Amino acid sequence: MDYSSFEDSLLMQLIAKAQSEALSELYDRYSRLVYSLALQTLGDPLTAEEVTQDVFLRVWEKAATYRSDQAKVSTWLVSITRNRAIDMLRRRGIRPEGHSVAWEEQNEASSAETNSRSPEEAASLAIQGRQVRQAIARLPADQRRVLALAYFYGLSHSEIAAQIGEPLGTVKTRIRMAMQKLRSWLQEEQGVP
Amino acid sequence: MANDLHVLDLIPAYALDCLDEEELKAVDEHLEACETCRAELRAYREVAERMAIGVPQVEPPARLKSALMASVRAALPSQKEFEKRQSKKERPAIGLLRLSPLWLATGLLLILLLAVSNLLLWQQVRALRENRPQLQVISLYGTEAAPAATGLIVISRDGTHGTLVVDELPNLGEDQQYQLWLIRDGQRTSGGVFSVGADGYGSIWVSSPDPLASYSDFGITVEPAGGSPGPTGKKVLGADL
Repeated sequence: MDYSSFEDSLLMQLIAKAQSEALSELYDRYSRLVYSLALQTLGDPLTAEEVTQDVFLRVWEKAATYRSDQAKVSTWLVSITRNRAIDMLRRRGIRPEGHSVAWEEQNEASSAETNSRSPEEAASLAIQGRQVRQAIARLPADQRRVLALAYFYGLSHSEIAAQIGEPLGTVKTRIRMAMQKLRSWLQEEQGVP
Repeated sequence: MANDLHVLDLIPAYALDCLDEEELKAVDEHLEACETCRAELRAYREVAERMAIGVPQVEPPARLKSALMASVRAALPSQKEFEKRQSKKERPAIGLLRLSPLWLATGLLLILLLAVSNLLLWQQVRALRENRPQLQVISLYGTEAAPAATGLIVISRDGTHGTLVVDELPNLGEDQQYQLWLIRDGQRTSGGVFSVGADGYGSIWVSSPDPLASYSDFGITVEPAGGSPGPTGKKVLGADL
């Protein structure tokens, strides 16, 4: 049977029942997303590989705990990846501002290779990536900065406030406003009311 | 209500996992009772996921997948490993036979105990083999009425439920649907009624009064919308068992 036509949630059910081919298919779909996030967070390819492996092993072990009503599979994967990468960051004592983390514009041609199921899906992913980078670029610099500190370093409100030397209330407001704007802009792009 | 508004404001930060401890507790408690906030959280978690897509996309090295799949497959139980552990356990008993009568008696008792535990362990191995983590997957093949159709039924390890997945089944009119039949001793029980998408693909959760693994055959027929008590229409997929 061709697993490539199975929806993510069915793959998860099969993975929960120790079907390794289903995990292989899920890896093909999302390893790039997971690895790229880990690499951007950690700045080091070998550690990013370690985290990627961790994430998919965790999926293999914990697939039975996945709840499709709580989040899409891809959202769950991103959440696990962020947790693992930030954990690793803390353990290795990498300091914020130690390497540049941002949603920078990139040469679109360099992201041409993909394991996506189809050219349409590859194009769709590239477009989504561009939309998000453009949306983030529209944010005021101070909102972008606190967002990056929360997203890539896993700092809490108080830790960010201490890091940048701003009042706690200011940090909370900036993060809330940044996320609200992103949500609204991204929904507009998708034509979601 | 001031409190609810305050929690709603914290949902975006919750989705980013950047709340401080006390805020986290307050939001966790609130989320248990509030569907509106849970829906907001789902929306903001998707924004967080989109932020990951915005990061420069880099392909991981191919060897990473090979290493992952090797670890995963190595974790499944193997017969060789069990036999190795078995032979290690038997060695201590043989040495004792050379010693005094007291030790001999103890040794014989030990051998007896080992023989019994051996038997129990072998029974467990057989049970493990039969109840392997691999699920039972039943393939379905298209009949003349739907030669391109294909499907499978994936049955849970405990055999009580499963998922049916079909592909390339023709779309039916509004007054018809497909129905899955579970067959045993000439009796046909309905396993569910479903329609397929425009691409001919569909899947349903299969439930039945008895464990799925207890049926000897499966088939899918075309029936009036809502299903029938027994198969009346043409058969499109069969298990060929």
